[in-house]
Amino acid sequence: MSTVSFSSWNGKFVDNRKGTAKPVDVRFPERLNGSKFKVLMGWNGIVARDPNADIPSITFHYLKTVRKLSCGECSVCMIGIDKLLEIFRKMGSGKGSRKDLAAIRETVEGVTANSKCNFGGSSLSPVLDAIRSNEADFIALIEGKRRLTEKEYSVDVSAPCMKACPAKLDIPGYIELIRNFRFRDSLNLIRERCILPGVIGRACPAPCEDACVRVDMDEPLAIRLLKRAAADYDLEQGGSALTRPAKEKDEKVAIVGAGPAGLAAAYHLRSAGYKVTVFESLPYGGGMAAAGIPDYRLPKNIINHEIDLIRQMGVDIKLNTKIDRLDLKELQKKGYKAVFLAAGAQKGIKIGCRGEDEGYDGYVDGVEFLKDFSLGKKVEPRKKVVIIGGGNVALDCARTCVRLGFGEVEILYRRSRAEMPAHAEEIEAAMVEGVKFSYLSAPLAVVSKDGRITGIECIKMKLGEPDESGRRRPIPVKGSEFTLKTDMVIPATGQKPDISFLKEVKLTGWGTVHVDPVTYRTSVEGVFAGGDCVTGPATLVEALDAGNNAARSIDCYLQGKKFEREVRFKDIDPNETREQIYVPMKLAEKARVLEPRTRIESFVEVEGGFGPASAMQEAKRCLRCYRVIVWE
Amino acid sequence: MVNITIDGRKIKAKQGATILETARGLKIDIPTLCYHKELRPFGACRLCMVEVKANGKWKLTTSCTTPVENGMEIKTGSDRARESRKFAAGLLYYKYPEDKTVRETAKKLGVDVDEKRAATEQCILCGLCVRACREIVDVNALQFQDRGLGRDVEEPKVEFNPALCIGCGSCAFVCPTSYVKMEEAGGKRTIWNKVFKMASCKVCGRYFAPQEQLEYISRKTGVPMDKLMVCVSCR
Repeated sequence: MSTVSFSSWNGKFVDNRKGTAKPVDVRFPERLNGSKFKVLMGWNGIVARDPNADIPSITFHYLKTVRKLSCGECSVCMIGIDKLLEIFRKMGSGKGSRKDLAAIRETVEGVTANSKCNFGGSSLSPVLDAIRSNEADFIALIEGKRRLTEKEYSVDVSAPCMKACPAKLDIPGYIELIRNFRFRDSLNLIRERCILPGVIGRACPAPCEDACVRVDMDEPLAIRLLKRAAADYDLEQGGSALTRPAKEKDEKVAIVGAGPAGLAAAYHLRSAGYKVTVFESLPYGGGMAAAGIPDYRLPKNIINHEIDLIRQMGVDIKLNTKIDRLDLKELQKKGYKAVFLAAGAQKGIKIGCRGEDEGYDGYVDGVEFLKDFSLGKKVEPRKKVVIIGGGNVALDCARTCVRLGFGEVEILYRRSRAEMPAHAEEIEAAMVEGVKFSYLSAPLAVVSKDGRITGIECIKMKLGEPDESGRRRPIPVKGSEFTLKTDMVIPATGQKPDISFLKEVKLTGWGTVHVDPVTYRTSVEGVFAGGDCVTGPATLVEALDAGNNAARSIDCYLQGKKFEREVRFKDIDPNETREQIYVPMKLAEKARVLEPRTRIESFVEVEGGFGPASAMQEAKRCLRCYRVIVWE
Repeated sequence: MVNITIDGRKIKAKQGATILETARGLKIDIPTLCYHKELRPFGACRLCMVEVKANGKWKLTTSCTTPVENGMEIKTGSDRARESRKFAAGLLYYKYPEDKTVRETAKKLGVDVDEKRAATEQCILCGLCVRACREIVDVNALQFQDRGLGRDVEEPKVEFNPALCIGCGSCAFVCPTSYVKMEEAGGKRTIWNKVFKMASCKVCGRYFAPQEQLEYISRKTGVPMDKLMVCVSCR
């Protein structure tokens, strides 16, 4: 049961001010960042807790905020908002009349029906809610009995795609810049939250695309490829440098690991003026993006270019520098005031099958296999390889083996295709490249002869009830054992952090680094951690987000300020909307991909990107579903 | 060809054509300010609104950006479409009360227009110049300003990059309000405050194109400059 005074959220009016408290059966934002708010106004309505909340003033402020996001390109949205603001100013100075309320209604309805994009189409309706639920206040304003007050309101902006993005990129913003042929501005906007745009533009699972409003109409925007287009175009033009810090700071910060989390933190800390040193055990930077993602998905020159830019800002990346034991006192003696641990999670986990610890020739962990290959280790193709697991690492191993010329490549997965955690496109690509998939099959034992693998004993599974991960639990089918002949087995069912070098820092039961979820602080003063070593294996973009946030937290720590995490539509669903403009059907632009027959012959990048013309065409499909909320 | 119903008439329309193109082919009058048949539609002026039936409901849409689909039902002159055009024209007039073209258009669509006010030419952000420069000339000297969250730009505008402009005048040609001015005198052309030296024809001596435009064409096509120094009439 709710304690609101009134609400129009989702267009459902609930009014508890007149003693006729109705049971509240509508969903509306309950908490915002955990704290109670007096009144909130957003694209989807008004929610007031305080019956005396100043509705005309918050409406005025809401309109001023909305105007900042109106692009001004169509003739109704921004001009309509300007007209509304003028009416509000007139009413606020006591020169209003009852006719103004009718003019507000007409303008709101007109803008809502006539706007070019979803922003104009969906942003103004709550102004009508304000008048409907608090007409007396507006009349008092007109009669000079009230004033509009200028208060500090909190503001937040999101969109379905932005909310779905772990790093909360301003997606409609950078798409709009591409549409307007401002590729450089677009890239700079992307870089604010994603310092590896070429990498993420190639190897992101793009949850933003699943959240795109167009999913239900025709096809989602090709958001990932648009990001890639901004990065590719810049690289074609010679590659723009990152801005060097405006002011140098004295403090030194050490970062362990040059993967996405470490690089993101390094970039933001360096931008703030800190002296940043990154320690990386491998001979190259990029972490899992470089060691785990093969060239046919993400060419090394793309990662190297983006790392070089960070280096050119003055970040010192020490490669081939393995830390055997993190001696914090030693680091502090060297003058490092803070440490950020971003060591990743690259140690393969045991799959629990007999023989896995015997050290057989032909038994290699998936991540190890990819890393060795990226380091230039020669892999002799064998007649057959069986890869165990259904994630992206398993798929990367399989597609790598196909390219290396293995006779037969088979993936063994204990659930069905629907439960596979790998991206659907990866699975399809592997299939057309000739990878065989055996679903509902789990390994029992490695079969060997004279220390060499000859096969793998398996058992058939069936799916039971969903487990804690929400996926249906596989159950062995008695008596269904079978043996696959193979001369290589690559287990790739998951990784955990390899943080044996950490002696003083508290770990979790999962073997990950324990941190405060808001500040990224570990149990040791001055030591922060983020990315896969905290979360376990996750996506590149999640690691970037951790690096972005941890950098801000470290900055606050070093400056003696309190760190506050962004609110970003907590408890509010930007997908909810009362208005939807008419959208003519138009399918997404398609990037060209190499023919399967050609691609399996080398490690050449499979997917082509958008040239500027296709990118601009695709960007036009964006409906700009920005959602604004203001509250006090 | 697709079958559509437009204002009650069942007709066959060209697949891939927009509603606006189809309607104009049928001599149905639909007003526009930001449309040019040689340029990609932009949907900015909101004057070409029509109603389209989608999922059983009549919805407003700009006819310039909506392609016809098989079975589509369209109303080009309904009260709602007219009201919507009047609303958009009214807002344009609200923002640009002194612009001649806006005033004429608004008046035609039923907006009360104050005739006593001064009449000038203003930029109404229709984007035609930006599109002409990019899509036809492929020069990109004109761009919409970078606006949006955190950029705090009060009034959006079209930005001119003099380093890229070749002085071809396409922007002035497509500008619906004549805000983009192109002036020529004494072998000089002035556009967006940039002065261009005009080249004179080797044969007749007439000034016929800006030097920078000819250099651009030469670079793009590989035709040597001296071949380009002859005007169209003397070629």
